[in-house]
Amino acid sequence: MVAKAVETPNIGFDFSNHARNQFLGQRLQGVPKATSTGTTIVGVIFGGGDSGEEPGVCLGADTRATGGPIVADKNCEKIHYLTPQIRCCGAGTAADTEFVTNLISSNLELHALSQGRPARVVTAMTMLKQYLFRYQGHVGAHLVLGGVDVTGPQLFTVHAHGSTDKLPYVTMGSGSLAAMAVFESSFRENMKKEEAIALVARAIRSGIFNDLGSGSNVDVAVITKNGTEQLRNYEMPNERGIKSRNYKFRRGTTAWTKEAVRSLVVSEEIKSTSGAGKDQGGVEVKAVPTGAGAGGEEGMEIDS
Amino acid sequence: MFMTRSEYDRGVNTFSPEGRLFQVEYAMEAIKLGSTTVGITTPHGVVLAVEKRVPSPLLESSSIEKIMEIDSHLGCAMSGLTADARTMVEHARVTSQMHNFTYDERIGVESCTQAVCDLALRFGESVEDDDALMSRPFGVALLIAGIDEKGPQLYHTDPSGTFVRYDAKAIGSGSDAAQQSLQDAFHKQMTLLEAHSLALKVLKQVMEEKLDENNVQLAQVTNEKGFEILGEKELKEVIETLAA
Amino acid sequence: MALYSNAPASYADHTSAPIEHRFNPYSDNGGSILAIAGKDFSVIAGDTRQSEGYNIQTRYARKVWQLTDKAVLATNGFAADGNNFVKRVKQRLEWYEHAHHKPMGLKSIARMIQTMLYAKRFFPYYVYNILGGIEEDGSGAVYSFDPVGSYEREACRAAGAAQSLIQPFLDNQIYFKNQTPETGSEPFIPGNLPLSTVLSLVVDSFTSATERHIEVGDGMEIYVVMNKGRTTDDLLDKKKLGPGMEVEELGALGEGGGERTFLVRAALKRD
Repeated sequence: MVAKAVETPNIGFDFSNHARNQFLGQRLQGVPKATSTGTTIVGVIFGGGDSGEEPGVCLGADTRATGGPIVADKNCEKIHYLTPQIRCCGAGTAADTEFVTNLISSNLELHALSQGRPARVVTAMTMLKQYLFRYQGHVGAHLVLGGVDVTGPQLFTVHAHGSTDKLPYVTMGSGSLAAMAVFESSFRENMKKEEAIALVARAIRSGIFNDLGSGSNVDVAVITKNGTEQLRNYEMPNERGIKSRNYKFRRGTTAWTKEAVRSLVVSEEIKSTSGAGKDQGGVEVKAVPTGAGAGGEEGMEIDS
Repeated sequence: MFMTRSEYDRGVNTFSPEGRLFQVEYAMEAIKLGSTTVGITTPHGVVLAVEKRVPSPLLESSSIEKIMEIDSHLGCAMSGLTADARTMVEHARVTSQMHNFTYDERIGVESCTQAVCDLALRFGESVEDDDALMSRPFGVALLIAGIDEKGPQLYHTDPSGTFVRYDAKAIGSGSDAAQQSLQDAFHKQMTLLEAHSLALKVLKQVMEEKLDENNVQLAQVTNEKGFEILGEKELKEVIETLAA
Repeated sequence: MALYSNAPASYADHTSAPIEHRFNPYSDNGGSILAIAGKDFSVIAGDTRQSEGYNIQTRYARKVWQLTDKAVLATNGFAADGNNFVKRVKQRLEWYEHAHHKPMGLKSIARMIQTMLYAKRFFPYYVYNILGGIEEDGSGAVYSFDPVGSYEREACRAAGAAQSLIQPFLDNQIYFKNQTPETGSEPFIPGNLPLSTVLSLVVDSFTSATERHIEVGDGMEIYVVMNKGRTTDDLLDKKKLGPGMEVEELGALGEGGGERTFLVRAALKRD
C-alpha cells in the first residue's frame, strides 16, 4: 500500500502563512493590527440573603473599540449572548471575543439540545477555558462570564491563557483597575437589583473616564432566573456636541478630468422556443431562476 | 601725569593705591600716537575718515588698511596699534555672523560694540585649566559705525573696554584739535556729502602732510548700500570740493 | 538525577537571542496642537490632556505658552522635554532682552529655536514645536519645527497624536486643497480667513480629534495674538463664541500698547 501524504485537517486555525507574514512584517511597517477592545467590563452578583430580591448577576461594559490610539467604533457591543440565561463580556482582540463567544454559544445550544436541559454557566466556562488553553493565549479573549442556572447566579472571569476565577464581583480589560477601585470601595453582598445596576454603571463610568482604552456609553445586562434584561446604552455620558461649522461642499467642488455617461439599464430579448412560457409578445421578460426548474408555480417540498 | 612711578605699573591686573590700572592708561597713550581718525553721524548714514601716514615714497599706500568692514551694515576705523585692531575686528565679525546665524537678523551696532569691549578686558594672567588669556590690554581705539533699527550710530571704544556713542568723534594724535573742529561744525541735519567734506576738512587741519587721495581713506555706512570704502574717484571729488 | 551535571555547549538554546534591557529616557505623552495664521492675527491651540499609555496623568497640563507680546509657542511629544525646552527658550529670550535692549522678534525666535533643537541633534528634545505670532511687518505667522530643528513658515500646521486626523482637514479648509472654486469666480487665497472662521475650525478640529483619538480630550486652550490696532469685536462678542467657551485678555509682557494676546478656553470630552 502506498503511503498517503498527510492530509491537513480542515478544522481549527491555519498557520501556513505565519512565516510569510513575519517576513512581510519586517519588510513593511509591521504586521496588521487587529481591532482591540481596550475595554472596561465588569460583573457583580446581587440579591439573595436578606435583600428580599431574586439573586442574579449584573454585567456591564463600555462601548469603545480601538485600533491602536484610534477609536474604531464608538458604540460597539461587548456583552455577547451565549444562552438565554448566560451572557459573556469580552475584552481583548475584538475578533477573538466575538468568534469565541459565538462558537461557544453554538456549542451550548447543541449541548442543551442533546442534554434536554439548559446548559449551566460552569459548562460555558469549561468550554471557554478548554478552547482558550488549546491556543496558549494566542486567542486574545479576556472574558467576564455571568448567568443564572439551576445552581443560582454564577460569575467568572476567563483569561486568554485559559485560567478562570469565580468571584462575587469581577472586572477585566484595560479599565479593570479603575472599575475594581469602585467595587473595592462600594461592593456589598446581597445588594438590591437597582443598587447593583447603579454600582456596575459607576464602575464602567470609572473605566470610561479614567482609562483611555475605554469610552463612550455604558451597556448593562441583568440576569435573574426570571429572565435577562439587556440594557443597551443604559447611560450615554459622552454624546458628541454640535460642530460649529457646516462642512457641506458646494456641488462641483471636486475636480474631475473627464466625463463619461453610460446607461446601466440593460434590456434583453428572450424568445421562447417551447411551450414552457406563455406568449410574452417578444418584449422584456422577467428573469426566471433556472434553479427553480420547471416547477413553475408550485413550491418545492422539503423533506421533514 | 604719573606722579608716582612705582611697581604698580607692572601687573596688568594690579590697581595702584589710587585706584588706577597703569597698563590700561599706558595703552590709552598709545592711541594718542596713532594717526587721526574721524567719524560723523548724519540722518542718512555714518562717515568714517582716517589719515594714512605714508612715511616713505616707496610704501604702497593702498596696503595700509585702517578702515575695515565688520558686516554689511557695520564698519570700523582705528587709531593706535592697528595690529591689535585685527583681533578685535575678527571678534566683531565672528560675533556678527553668530548673531545672524542664531537670530536670523543683523546684530545691533551697540551689541556689536559691546561684544568688542567684552573682549578688550580679557587681558591678564591665565588661571589654571583656563585658555591662555591676552597678556596686555589692546593698544588701539575704534570708531564703530553702523546702521540698525535705531538708525545710524557711531561708537567709540578704548582699551579700558569702555564704549560711548557720539554724533561725531575724532581719535588719534590730532584728536584734540579735530574734536574741537567737529564740535564747531557739526549739526544734526548734515547730508552725507557735507559729512564727507567735514571729515576730510578736519583731517586736513591736523595732518602734517598735504591731504590727497593716497594719504586718507573715506568710508560710509548707509541704509541703501551698507558699508563701503569710497573709491579713488569719489575720494578725489570730495578733495576737490575742499579746495574750492 | 540530572543526565548532565553541566549541559554541554551544544545544548545551548539558540532559539532565543539574549534580551538586552536598556533604559529608555523618552516617553510619549499624547495630546495634539495646531496653529493657524491669519492676515493680522495668529491662533495657536492645544488640548490639555497629558497621558502615558492608557493612563491620564492629568486633565490639565499646559502645552501652549505665551513667550512675548507677539509670540506663542506650542509643544507636543514628551512633556518633560517640552516643559524644559520652553523654560530654556524663555531664559534665552530674557538674556537677549538684556543684551540687546529689545524683545526678540518672531522670526528670530524661530531661528533661535532651530539652533537650540539642533544643538541636541544626537540626544534630541522629543518635542514637536509650533510657533505662532505676529511678524515684524504685522502679519500673522506660524512656524513649525521637527524635533531636531528643521523649520518652515506656513499658514497652518497640526502636530502631535492627532496630526494625521487634523492636518488633512486644515489642508482642505485653510489651503483649500481638493476644492475647486466655482467657474468664473476668484481663486481661493490661503491665509485670508476671518478670525471667527478660524476659531470655529480650531474648535471643530479638537472636538473631532477627541471623538476619534483616545489621547486627545479634557480641555483646550486657544491663544489668539492680534496685531496692533486690530478690532477685537469678532473675538470678544460672546455670541460668536461657542457655548461654555471663555475669553480672557492676557496682560502685556513687555511695554504693552502693541499686539494683544487673548486666551480662549473650552471644554472637551473626558472619555
